[in-house]
Formats: sequence, structure tokens, C-alpha cells
Amino acid sequence: MPLAPVNDAVTITQLIDNPYPFYRQMRASSPVVSVSAVNRVMLTKAADTRAVKDDPETWSSDDPDTPMKRAFHAHTLMRKDGEEHLRERNAMMPTFSPRNLKTLWGPAYEKLAGEYLDRLPKGEVVDLFPTLAGPLAARILADILGLSEASDDDMQFWSQALIDGAGNFGWFDEPFERVDRAHLAMDALMERKAEYYRANPDQTALSVMVNADDPIAWSQIVANIKIAIGGGINEPRDALLTVLYGLLTNPDQLDEIRSTGQWGSAFEEAIRWVAPIQVSSRRATRDTQIRGIDIPKGTVVMTCQASSNHDEDLFEDGHLFNAFRARNPHQSFGSGPHHCMGTHLARMMLGKIMLPMIFDRFPNMELVRPETVIWKGFGFRGPLNLPVRLN
Amino acid sequence: MPRLTFIASQGTSRTVDARSGDSAMQTALAHGIDGITAECGGAMACATCHVHVADEWADRVGPAEDTEADMLEFAASTVTAASRLSCQITMTEELDGLVLHLPDTQI
Repeated sequence: MPLAPVNDAVTITQLIDNPYPFYRQMRASSPVVSVSAVNRVMLTKAADTRAVKDDPETWSSDDPDTPMKRAFHAHTLMRKDGEEHLRERNAMMPTFSPRNLKTLWGPAYEKLAGEYLDRLPKGEVVDLFPTLAGPLAARILADILGLSEASDDDMQFWSQALIDGAGNFGWFDEPFERVDRAHLAMDALMERKAEYYRANPDQTALSVMVNADDPIAWSQIVANIKIAIGGGINEPRDALLTVLYGLLTNPDQLDEIRSTGQWGSAFEEAIRWVAPIQVSSRRATRDTQIRGIDIPKGTVVMTCQASSNHDEDLFEDGHLFNAFRARNPHQSFGSGPHHCMGTHLARMMLGKIMLPMIFDRFPNMELVRPETVIWKGFGFRGPLNLPVRLN
Repeated sequence: MPRLTFIASQGTSRTVDARSGDSAMQTALAHGIDGITAECGGAMACATCHVHVADEWADRVGPAEDTEADMLEFAASTVTAASRLSCQITMTEELDGLVLHLPDTQI
């Protein structure tokens, strides 16, 4: 069988600006393709990305050649397999139990969301990225993790530093130096808070991990919290901005949802349409094949869920926002053992609480000059701004 | 090869062959049963392969164990004593003829 064909035409800048036209081409002509710009074999069909994630024995999450370990000062659960991964994941799991979501984090988010919406100015143009979506996502995450002393700005700075460091494939100095500064601050706060929670246990992630009967190593507790910081702000932030954009630019759909209350469907459609996490990677643990293409052992593939979510085999007019799709089997929360731990939290926060609340509070919210909204990102993607007028 | 019947919330039913050792969820995906999403692929990290076991099969299939019961609280449709995550039901010859009812939605 042949190896994957090579695409050395597409550039990283093009993928960051808008990967979707390239994914469409790849799905049509070369769905398994080695892309020189990212040095990975890209998988662009839904059946393939799903099959890879659901088969962790053939496809390890441990991708050794990434800057992630350097950026996180640790080998984290994101890049582990099997029992080792499960043990670290389970250590944090109790915090995200259905009971805690219902009794603690749901009410906490509802209160915070109300307060952050109260602070927004009415009648003038306001950008919801820095005034609502970013800080609110940071605030609720800090409280759930057990780091309530961290400010919204601290959390956002740490998160971006971790993301930039983990994505620093050019191995430049600045992102690593910036993330090193973030580690100093995060480590100091976590040590202080761990001591506090030993005496005052609660359901926050730090407390649950520190007070477990058979706790994981402190180094991994710290790494788990950092994974949550790096991965728990931009997704709900970008998902909120994306769903607001989708609804505000499709007023007929918004009108219908106002009467039916299908806010959850709007949320699901938004993260299908523009997945906040666009790609993941997996390494072949043995020689294998996908669609008749040889994938030698050791090959690192990039599962492009962003592309799978637009796959013509599953979605009609996948490039359009349509909250009323009969079926929406998107892969934005991933699949398999690494399925997003924040899935249920995200569905509750955005689909059940924020969307009905914001449109109830500002029924005449309008997007100001939609053409000025800038979308960016290859690994993570969302709007960089969302100028609205609230009424 | 145990046979497995899925009955959709609108009443349409489909009977398929399962491989012994596969879960009911895997069987559903292999046969393109619409009412099973199975977002996490069997890692018991979601609740999108929720089914209601038909009354006459309840004893043989058994109830959800603790972790599964916790996860079922995330299910999008009504959870009853007959609710199970189909990724946790292993198909065997003893379950030949099993009937599972699909909820109206998984998300």
C-alpha cells in the first residue's frame, strides 16, 4: 500500500486564517494526507478521526516530539494512556460529578453569569470577548479548581502562557520564559491552597485530589490543575462567542429558539460549526492502515475534528450554522478515554444557563458590523472579538 | 451470534446480530443505529448511549453499577430503574433476543 500523499503547498498561516477550505479539498481528494507545514499526517474524515480516538491500543496519546512537556514542566494525563491516564483522570473526576454540577457549580455559574452581565454597559458598542466570555470562563474555572484567589486576569494569563508554550513548535525562548513565570505563580498559590484544603476539604478539584484516600503524586496533582487551566478557559470562551455569532447572524433561528427553548441545540451546533479544539494528535503503536494508506509504526497523525464536523458523509451544508439539524454527531468533545471531562459542565453552563439568560436580559442584542469579527486559529479556533450593542 | 433488537422512541424496531463480547453500544454503532450517540466510545465518560432495558430482560441484564448510575444522571432523557448505559452491557449467548428501548434524545 502507498504512504500518505504529501501536501507541501498549504502553509501554517493559511491554516490559522481559515483551515476549512483546505479541509474540504482534502476530504474530497486526499482525506489521509501528510501536511508538511505541520509535519503530521492529517485525518480529515469523521469515520477515521473517530476510529482512531476509540482505539487507544493502536493509537497512543503519547506524542513525544511536542513542546508540551517543556511548557507544562510535566508529562500530563493528556499524553498518557491506559491505567496511568485513568488513575490521574479519576483523581479529578469527583469534582465534576453530576451531583456537584447540579448543587454547586451550576448555581455558582448562574450567580457569576448574572453579575458579569450586570456589569456590561447598555446602549454602546461592547466587545464581549474581554468583557464577558474570557473573564467569566476564567472565574468559574478558578472557583471549581479551588483557586478562587486567582484573579480573572491571572487565570487568563496562565492559560494563554500554557497554550502558547505547548504550541511552541518553533521552540522559541519567549513562550517558554513566559510560561515559566506563570508556573512560579501557579505553584505558589497551589501549595498555599493545598495546605488550606487539608484542613478545610470541599469539592474543588485541588481539594478532592489532595484529600483522596490514595492520592496521586503532588507533581501530577499540580499538572492536572494546569491542564485544566490551559484547557478550561478558551473552550467555553470561544464556544460562547461562536454560538452568539451564529445566533445573531441567523435571526430566524434565534427567533425560533426563543420560542422553543432549544438553547442546547444551538450550543451543540456552534461547537460543531467551529470546534473550539480543532485538532488532536495520536501516535501509531504498530504498523497500520487507514483508507488503504500505510501508516508505519511511530507515525503521528493529527485527527482534525474540525474537518470531521463538516464531513459531507454526516452533515449537509456543514459550513452553515443550522441549530435545527436532525442529527449532530460532532466530535468537538473528542471520543474514547480522553473524552472531554468538562463536557457536561460546558453543556450546562452555556446551553442551560448562559444562552437563555443573556437573551432574556438583552432581548434586542445586536451584532455591530459582523464583517469586523476576526476568526483565527488552527489548533484552537474562535472569534477574537464580538462587538455587540446591548439593549 | 446473539440477536439484539433496538426499539426507537417512535416505535420503529430493528433487530441485528451482535458479536459475543461486544457491548450493546458497539453493536449499535456497527449497525448504524441512529438513537445511540456514544460520544465517548465506551469510556463511561458521557451518557449518550443510554437505553431502557425491556422489562422481561431486566433480571438477566441486571442494574447499573455505581459509577454507571452516577454517569446516568447526565442522561438527556428520563432515567428509570430500567436505564443502562449500553456500553456497559456485554452481549453473550444468554442475552440472545435482548430488547433495548432507545430514548428520544441522547444530548
